[in-house]
Amino acid sequence: MPPYAFLILYISTFLIVCWYFLYVRNADVLFFMQDRGWWNDTRLFFEQCIRVPGGLLSWAGAYLTQYFYYPALGCSILILVWLLTFALAKWSFRVPSHWSFLLFLPMAALLASDIQLGYWIYILRDIDYIFYHPLGLLAATLLSLPFWQFLPFGDKAKRRIALAWIPLVATLFYYPFGIYALLAAVLTALQAFTSVQERGEKVIPYSLSLLVLLLLSLGLAPLLETSGSTLLRSDQPWTYGFHRFELDDLRDYSLELPFLLALFLPLGFPFIRRIKSESLLLSQGTMAAATALTLLGLFSRDFTDYNFHAELRMQRAVEECRWADVLQESSKAKGPVTREMIMFRDIALMNRHELLSKRYIYNNESVQPVTVSDSIHIRIANQAGDLIYLNYGETIFAIRRAMERAMHYGFSHYTLRVLAKCAIVNGEKDNARKYLRLLSHSTFQKKWSQKMRPFAEDDKLLPQSEHFRLPLKLYNEGSELVGTDDSYVELTILKKWMYTLTHEPEAQQVALAAAMIMRDRQCFWSQVQQFYNINPSGLFPTHVQEAMLFEVYELGMKGVNLSFVKFDDRVVQRYNAFKARLEQYSSQGMNEQQIGSMLRPEFGDTYMWDYCVLRQVQTN
Amino acid sequence: MKSRTICRGMGFSLSHCFIISLLMVFIAACSGHPSLPSSFEKADKAPRIYPDYTDVTVPPNIAPLNFLVDSVDDVVAEVAADNYRQTFGGKANKVQFMQKDWQELLQKAKGTRIDITLYTKKDGRWLAYKPFSIHVAKEDIDPYVSFRQLPPTFVGYDELSIRQRNLTNFDETDIYNNRMISKGIEGQCINCHSYQNYRTDNMMFHTRMEHPGTMIVCDGKLSFVDTKVEGMISAAAYNSWHPSLPIIAFSTDHTMQSFHTRDVTKVEVMESASDLIIYDIKQNRVLPVLSDSAELELFPSWSPDGKWLYYCSAHYEYKGEYENTDELLNAYRSLQYNLYRIPFDAQGMTFGQPELIYDARQKNRSAVQPRVSQDGRYVLFAEGPWGLFHIWHPTAEVCILDLQTGRLLNTSPMNSHRAESYPSFSSNDRWILFESRRDDGNYTRLYLAYFDASARLHKAFEVPAEDPEQLRLLLRSQSRPELMKEPVRISPREFRDKMLSQPTKVKS
Repeated sequence: MPPYAFLILYISTFLIVCWYFLYVRNADVLFFMQDRGWWNDTRLFFEQCIRVPGGLLSWAGAYLTQYFYYPALGCSILILVWLLTFALAKWSFRVPSHWSFLLFLPMAALLASDIQLGYWIYILRDIDYIFYHPLGLLAATLLSLPFWQFLPFGDKAKRRIALAWIPLVATLFYYPFGIYALLAAVLTALQAFTSVQERGEKVIPYSLSLLVLLLLSLGLAPLLETSGSTLLRSDQPWTYGFHRFELDDLRDYSLELPFLLALFLPLGFPFIRRIKSESLLLSQGTMAAATALTLLGLFSRDFTDYNFHAELRMQRAVEECRWADVLQESSKAKGPVTREMIMFRDIALMNRHELLSKRYIYNNESVQPVTVSDSIHIRIANQAGDLIYLNYGETIFAIRRAMERAMHYGFSHYTLRVLAKCAIVNGEKDNARKYLRLLSHSTFQKKWSQKMRPFAEDDKLLPQSEHFRLPLKLYNEGSELVGTDDSYVELTILKKWMYTLTHEPEAQQVALAAAMIMRDRQCFWSQVQQFYNINPSGLFPTHVQEAMLFEVYELGMKGVNLSFVKFDDRVVQRYNAFKARLEQYSSQGMNEQQIGSMLRPEFGDTYMWDYCVLRQVQTN
Repeated sequence: MKSRTICRGMGFSLSHCFIISLLMVFIAACSGHPSLPSSFEKADKAPRIYPDYTDVTVPPNIAPLNFLVDSVDDVVAEVAADNYRQTFGGKANKVQFMQKDWQELLQKAKGTRIDITLYTKKDGRWLAYKPFSIHVAKEDIDPYVSFRQLPPTFVGYDELSIRQRNLTNFDETDIYNNRMISKGIEGQCINCHSYQNYRTDNMMFHTRMEHPGTMIVCDGKLSFVDTKVEGMISAAAYNSWHPSLPIIAFSTDHTMQSFHTRDVTKVEVMESASDLIIYDIKQNRVLPVLSDSAELELFPSWSPDGKWLYYCSAHYEYKGEYENTDELLNAYRSLQYNLYRIPFDAQGMTFGQPELIYDARQKNRSAVQPRVSQDGRYVLFAEGPWGLFHIWHPTAEVCILDLQTGRLLNTSPMNSHRAESYPSFSSNDRWILFESRRDDGNYTRLYLAYFDASARLHKAFEVPAEDPEQLRLLLRSQSRPELMKEPVRISPREFRDKMLSQPTKVKS
């Protein structure tokens, strides 16, 4: 087989694997990463980035992460960076083509790091997470004297250059490239060592010099370079940039494994060319085994939880006011859904005036988010609590949540958009302008910023916008309270609204729905009365009719005369059928769970089923 | 060497400093003064610049008042003072003065004014605005200011630092940065930095949560103490150094906060209980000063002669259980603070009876954070509708009480339609430093105002930044400013190392 055939085989395999795991399976995650990332073209941002080791990588990584705004484009750039690293490493370390697939292993580890995150994605501090390490690896390869063999000097001079280069690269490039400058120093030393060894020269004295110099450089360069820094802990100079999955006292080492591999596997690059065997069977067998292991690793790392991905898509749809898409996503979910999905769906329903007529058609059976490990407990407040608050007109709580998250995990395009919208609803124009100005300095948020600018200037436009119409209405109609949410987003919203008496029809549907969801009987009947005051025709939405029948006839609510209600015959028939079936199954000695399952096909879309089967109001 | 010091202070590495120094030399060599446009139209109005430095009065040792003009392609400023005339700008929409030129300009204009004519270019056409002036006072300002820097957050404090800025240029460094110890999302709340007589050999700040305690520098010597003793409401909080003795007055309090659902005030901060104590550094003991359970005493502040302790207090009697937070939440608007003072006998370390000096409650207002001028005549404070955290109250303003006449001075030239808070006098009484949210309503910035010898306030101006756009883009608030005559000499690492040690318990 000619050498280029191996290269074509390896590269195409790598391309297919990358594209499949990145774009096909995780495009929504990658879009989310850029959205929770943050880059702008200002000097201030650049200065903030470069104050820590690896700052240039961070700045460039944050810049490139933006391109996941178009996931295919972002994926292409990322793969291109990896291919460049591969080509450079192959050339620099003179790796035989048939063994060159080994060079892809660190990249495969980084690929795993991109798809493994799951709910850690919400509490990731790094705006540069995806590109930091690929760029670092490329920089380390570039800085480890890839031109070694082409230098127009004698061997002695080259060896001296290598000795000089080790401390230089560790010191001069430590701040821009962080630990990858140190990796470059190690690779340079290994490159020099293998070259000397291959020439059969005196290895020991030179190797000792290399080792001493290397150890001194690795030990002292980070220490000296960070001596005046107030941004690092004392244990960080040697590790800053290496991604740690830590949250207070929790640390998830398993998620750090890909980064360890990406950092340490390249140390084997200078030695690959020394594999003497020309046997294709050995190289291809190893290649097949490595591919199989890589695929196994990638499949096991890929976080495929349906609800996790659905939440990302629904969040985007809510932000873009694509209500039909939110509901479609909600319909697609097969099993129990997360509370965040329920809240996103309810936001879509209330914007379509369907909260009281269609809410129970959708699945309300909820489950806690399935986290990638038990080291984090994710809550709506950490996820899109601010966006949900905003859509319920709770802009102050939205700002609070957005700010707290920004404090913990840094500002992002998403956070700035939420803050800008909140400021617009609140009438804080100068504040809105500030956020819009910042967004206009990014690459892909300019358009959004321009689109929102008229709303920051003219309040009269707000009621005409799908983005602001309902939040503004709910903001104005909601009662003014002083309190806190204790990180319970859903509970805070529902508790406030079930007690809110308003004459505004759209706001009132939210209040009545909140009373129904919370199953508070007093609030429910107060809100029913309020609904009737606004709509004296006596026509109530389907679920409200179901709830009224259920309250009076099943739960035995006394003192309520339902004669003012114009019941839909179908609703009454279904209620009677439900009651009969319930009694039948109970008399057969079935337990609650069994009854729930039996009733679901016929009555799973009713308020009654929800009330009887989903016994507890779950919020997160 | 200077640029090297600056960039080290900014947190850059040694190698960066070297490269930046070279770049600065190169830039300085290349920079020149732009020429005035040969043809232009005249505008019949003054320009709108950011920050607003039109007709302000500044100290003769202030850093360059760099500014920008929105929505223009180019700007040139023709600057004149005495026999000095020069042009600046020519770099897109910003006018940034070179430090040396600016200092020369200030010296020429000391006691008089600088006149600036602005020419802006838009779509190829130049426009000349009506000139505006910057008045230059004769009195210097203390050269340093320290402040807290953090996002305008409510609970978290991961990104929190106490910084010091040289007001005569743009040098800025951390006194302490939370990131030196913090891990993950928890960390330390560092707060309440203060100094004795504007000097840093005697200074302090608190740390809360991780490694809690109070960092005290006394005669240049650093110690870390735990001020909480049996019977005290909490560890020591808001504080003031006695001007001559090694004692610090503190309030001890239980703080709580709650959020509005609709009001853009956003948050209310309350104290459910608070008392006053003093801490004797040499004796390492605390002594109670005021501990009336129906009074919420806060923000102690010594008079410069050390004979009076000023403070504010709100009267509140719990109807139900003491410190019932739900009850307090419903009554937050009734928590209005008045200003008091209490005489202090340094010999016996005893206090006399409290004296009401300003009844804010009668005006349905709340007065907090008193500071007394060096001559003892004026009391500076922040006044808002209720409560104590006025930076969250848009109607809050800085006020000055003349103790001789008992009247408030007209402070409208320095106030704005947005929140102002935490005022303090310079060591020569001629400058007032305070925090304000007038820029955008949310991000606190530092402002200075001239308080002339005839007790007249002048228009306030924003503490300048090297790049004026930075003031707009920075997603951090700069709050609780304190003027200093000198920088803090203890390094951040010394503070950190001390913080990692066990704090010394104080005695009661």
